[in-house]
Amino acid sequence: MGDKAGDKKDVWQGTLALMVLKTLQAMGPLHGYGIARRIEQTSGDLLAVNYGTLYPALLKLEQEGYISSEWGFSDNNRKAKYYKLTRAGRKQLNKEEREWEQTTAILARFLAPGEERS
Amino acid sequence: MRRLRAWFSRLGGLFGKQRHDRELAAEMESHLQLHIEDNLRAGMSPAQARREAIMKLGGVEQTKENYRERRGLPLLEVFFQDLRFGVRMLRKNPGVTAIVVLTLALGVGANTAIFGLVNGLLLQRLPVPAAEQIAALVIQSGDSSLGALGFSYPQFVEFREQTAPICEVFGSATAWRLNFTAEGHSDTLTMGGVSSNYFSALEVKPALGRLVLPGEGEHPGEPAILVLSYSFWQRRFGGDPQVIGKQARVGGKPATIVGVMEKEFRGQFTVFEMDAYAPLSTVFDQSSVSNFWNSRDTHLMLALGRLKPGITLAQAQSRFDVISRRLAAQYPVTDKDLSVRVMDERLSRPIPYANNAFIVFSGLFLILGALVLLLACTNIANILMARASVRQREMAIRAALGGARYRLVRQMLTETLLTALLGGIAGVTLGAGLNRLASSTHLSNIPVRLGFGFDWRVFVYALAAVVFTAVSAGLSPALRATRADVNTVLHQGGRADAGGRARHKVRGDLMTAQVAGSLTLLIVAGLFVRSLRAVERMDIGFDPNQLLNITLDPSLNNYTELQTNDFYRSLETKVRALPGIQSVSLAASVPMGSTLGSQSVYIEGRRVPSGQRAPGAFFNSVDAAYFETLRVNVLLGRAFTEADGETSPSVAIVNETMAEHFWPGENPIGKRFSLTSDDGPFVEIVGVARDGKYRILAEDPQPYFYVPLSQHFTAQRTLQIRSAMPPESLAPIVQHEIQALDANDPIEEIQTMKESLGGTLGYFIFRLGASLAAAMGLLGLLLAIVGVYGVVSYAATQRTQELGIRMALGASPRQILALLLKQGAQLVAAGLLFGLAGAWALTHAMSHMLVGVSPSDPLTYLSLAALLSFITLLACWIPARRAIRVDPMVALRYE
Repeated sequence: MGDKAGDKKDVWQGTLALMVLKTLQAMGPLHGYGIARRIEQTSGDLLAVNYGTLYPALLKLEQEGYISSEWGFSDNNRKAKYYKLTRAGRKQLNKEEREWEQTTAILARFLAPGEERS
Repeated sequence: MRRLRAWFSRLGGLFGKQRHDRELAAEMESHLQLHIEDNLRAGMSPAQARREAIMKLGGVEQTKENYRERRGLPLLEVFFQDLRFGVRMLRKNPGVTAIVVLTLALGVGANTAIFGLVNGLLLQRLPVPAAEQIAALVIQSGDSSLGALGFSYPQFVEFREQTAPICEVFGSATAWRLNFTAEGHSDTLTMGGVSSNYFSALEVKPALGRLVLPGEGEHPGEPAILVLSYSFWQRRFGGDPQVIGKQARVGGKPATIVGVMEKEFRGQFTVFEMDAYAPLSTVFDQSSVSNFWNSRDTHLMLALGRLKPGITLAQAQSRFDVISRRLAAQYPVTDKDLSVRVMDERLSRPIPYANNAFIVFSGLFLILGALVLLLACTNIANILMARASVRQREMAIRAALGGARYRLVRQMLTETLLTALLGGIAGVTLGAGLNRLASSTHLSNIPVRLGFGFDWRVFVYALAAVVFTAVSAGLSPALRATRADVNTVLHQGGRADAGGRARHKVRGDLMTAQVAGSLTLLIVAGLFVRSLRAVERMDIGFDPNQLLNITLDPSLNNYTELQTNDFYRSLETKVRALPGIQSVSLAASVPMGSTLGSQSVYIEGRRVPSGQRAPGAFFNSVDAAYFETLRVNVLLGRAFTEADGETSPSVAIVNETMAEHFWPGENPIGKRFSLTSDDGPFVEIVGVARDGKYRILAEDPQPYFYVPLSQHFTAQRTLQIRSAMPPESLAPIVQHEIQALDANDPIEEIQTMKESLGGTLGYFIFRLGASLAAAMGLLGLLLAIVGVYGVVSYAATQRTQELGIRMALGASPRQILALLLKQGAQLVAAGLLFGLAGAWALTHAMSHMLVGVSPSDPLTYLSLAALLSFITLLACWIPARRAIRVDPMVALRYE
C-alpha cells in the first residue's frame, strides 16, 4: 500500500472540513475512523486522508459548534467516539456546498477556453 | 461569532488537561482497533494489520500534539508557562528584581507625574457637556505696548452680538485675592466676574441654589450676588446647605450668596481654581462705568465661545476676522490692527494670551522625563546584561535540548516584562502620590492647582513606558544570551562569560549613555536653578523684604472723596504709631500685582500726528512716603512731598527709561507732559526715579512714571508698611486698626510683598521650572551613580581571575587600580562629551525660558561636568578598590 500512496492526492487544505460534514450528512453519526475510510472510498481511493490530521479538524468543527460528539459502541461492540451533525452544521454544509459549486463553476469557465487555445 | 465560540471553547480547553489527554488517547486507541479489525477482515496477518494501521495513523504523539494545540490556545498556554517560570526566576533573585523594580519605579513615577501634569493642563477638556465645542478667543491688538491682553467690555459685547449665529461668546474678568467676609471672619478668594451667559453657555449646573442667570448682571447697579465654588463651600462653610441666602462682603461690598457650583467645574482656567463667581455688575459697579463698562482701553475680559454644532474653528475664524476688520475701521484709535484668534481651548492654556509658552514648557519637561526613563532603561539593560551572561549556560543547555531560539528570547522577554510591570505599578503609585502632593501644596498663596489629570491617558502613557523599557532593555540581553554556541559555552568549563569583548563594549556604551543623559539633565536643571537665582537677585528697583501690602477700598462703604482721604490719613497716622513700624505709604498699585494703570503720554511741544495714538506708559499714584517705604531711589530732582497737594502745581516723577526715551540727552527736570491731550493740562517733572520691574519680572526696562495721590484720586489704594518685625505677624494688628476705623472692613486683600511677588506674574513660573528641573536632575544623577557603580563592580567581578593572574605576576595593587580606573575614566569622559553636546542642543531650544543666564553658561556646564565626573569616578573607584583587595590565591581559584 505504501507504494500506491505516492499516486494519491493529499486532501487539500480547507476541503477536509467540508468532506467531514458531507460524510456525516450522508452517513449519520460516525466515528473518526469511519469518517476517514468513507472519505477515501467516496474519492474512489484517489485521496489519502492522513488519519492524524483528521482529529484536530474534528475538534475544530466541534469547537465551532458544527458537530457534536459522544461515546458509543461500534457494530462489533467496540467503544468509539461518535460524531454527528448539529443544526448549525447542516446550515454551514449547505452554505459551503453552494460556495464550492460557485467556485468550481467559475474555475471551469476560466479553464475551458484556455484548453482550446493551448 | 463562530470564531468567538471556538475561542471560548479553546479557552476552556486550557483547563482539565489530563482528562482531555486521556480521552484523546482512548479515541486513538479505538481508532487503531477499528482499523486493525478491518485489516484482519481484509485478510492480513495480525502483525501486518497492526503495522499497517499504525503507519496510516501516523505518529501518535504528533497527532496528540497537533490535537492539543488545536484544543487550547497554545500562545496563551506558552505565555502562562513563561509567566510561571518568570515568577520563579524573579523570586530566586529578589535582589536583582528589587533593583530593577525600584529603578523603573523612579523612572515611570517621574514620567507619570509629569505626564499627569501635562495631561491635566493641556490634554483634558473642560469638564462641561460637549466640551469639544468650546473654543478660546485670543485677542491680539496692534498696540500691545500697554499689555492689551483681553477684551474690553464693549469689544466683548460687539463680538458676542455679531457672532451669535455661529457661536455663543462668553467670558469673565478675574479678580485675584479679594477679601471675603462672612459670619464674622474674613479670608481671601479668587473670583470670576462672569458674563450673564457664562454658565448657560458652558452648560454647567449648580450643586445648590442657582447660578448667574442669562440676562443677569450686565448693568452696573444690579443687586450683588455670589456663587461659591464647591471646594470653597466645603472649605469655608463645611458644606452647609443653609449657606444659600446668606449675606457676605466680598471685596468690601455686601453680596448675597445664591448658589454653589457643581463639583466638577473648577473655573475656566485649568491652573487657577476659582473660589467664587459673581456677575460682572457685582465686580464692577457704578464707579467703573468709565474704566470698565464703556472703556475700549480696559482689557479685562477673557473670552471663550461655544461653537454651534457643525461649525468648525476655521469657519468661526473667518467670521471673527470680518468683525475684527469692521471694528478696526470703526474705532481706528483703540481697535487698530485688532484681531481675534479662534483656537482649541486646550491650546490656549493656562490663560488665553497670545504667545503662550506653555506648550514649549510642557514639551521640555516631557523630554526631561523621557531622558530619566532612558537612564532607567540603560540601568535595567545593564543589570539584565549581567544576568544574561550568568544565564548563558542555562540558555545553551535549553537550546541543546531543542528549545527554539525565539522561544528562549520570548521567555526572557516575558520575565523582563513581568519585572517592568511590577516597576510600572510601583511607578504609577509613586506618580499618583507625587501628584497628590503637588495638589495639596499651595504654591505661594495663589490658587494654583497642579494635582489632577490622572485618567486613562496617564495609564496608557505609563504602560507604553513599561513596554518600551521591557523591550528596549530586555531584547538585546535576551538575544545575546541565546546566541551563544552550545559547544563553546559548555566547553568553557562553567565560566559564564563568553564572547566577552562585544559585551564589554555594549556595557561600556550603556555607561557612556548614562553619563551623557545624566549630564544633560543636570545642566538643564542647573540652568533653571541659576535662572531662578538670577531672577531672584534681579534688580527690581525696590526692596521687597519686610513689606506688608493691604489693599483697601473705602468707597465700597459709600465714602465721598473727602471721607476717603480722611480715612486713609487717619489710618496712616494710626499705623505709624504702632511699634516697630519704619515707614508707611499709600499707592494705587503694587509692582507685579493684579492692577496696573496705563496712560497715554502727550509730550509738551510735540503734537501726536492725527490718526495716531499717543505713546503709552504705565504709572502709579503714590504718596510722599512711597519712595522711602519701597526704597526706590530718586536719582535726580526730588521725591513728592506733603506740599504736592490738590491746589499746588501738578507734578510727576519719571523713571530713567522714560526720561531717556522722551528726553534723550536732556535734563528731564522741569519738562512737562500731559495725560489727556496735546494741549494739556500738563504735569511738570520734578524728579527721576530708578528703573524697576513693574508688570512682569522678565520685562525689559519700561517707561514708567509716578504722580501724587493727592492730585490723582483713587479710592482703591494699597497701604504699604515697612517694619522691623515679620510682616505676616503685623497683618492681624493692622487689620484690627482698620476695623476700629470702619467696622465694615473695606479690606480687599492682605499679603506680604514677598507673597505678592511669588504670583504668576512674579517668581512662580521660575520656581516651578527650577524645582521640577532640579528634581529631574537629581533623579538622573542618582540613576547614573547606580548605573556606573553597577557596571564597574560587575566588570571587576568578572575579571577577578584575570586580576589575580596579573597580581601573581607582580602587578602592584596601584597598577591594577589605575588599569580599572583608566577604563572607567575613558567611558566617563566620552559620556561627558556627549552630555555637553546634548545639553547644549536642548538648552538652546529652551533659551527663551531662561532669564539672566546664557543657555551656554560656561560656569554651569563646567561645574556640573566636574561634579558628575567626580561622583562617577568615585562610583568606579569603590568597586575597583574592592577588586584589588582580593587575595591573588582566592582570585585565581575564583569560580
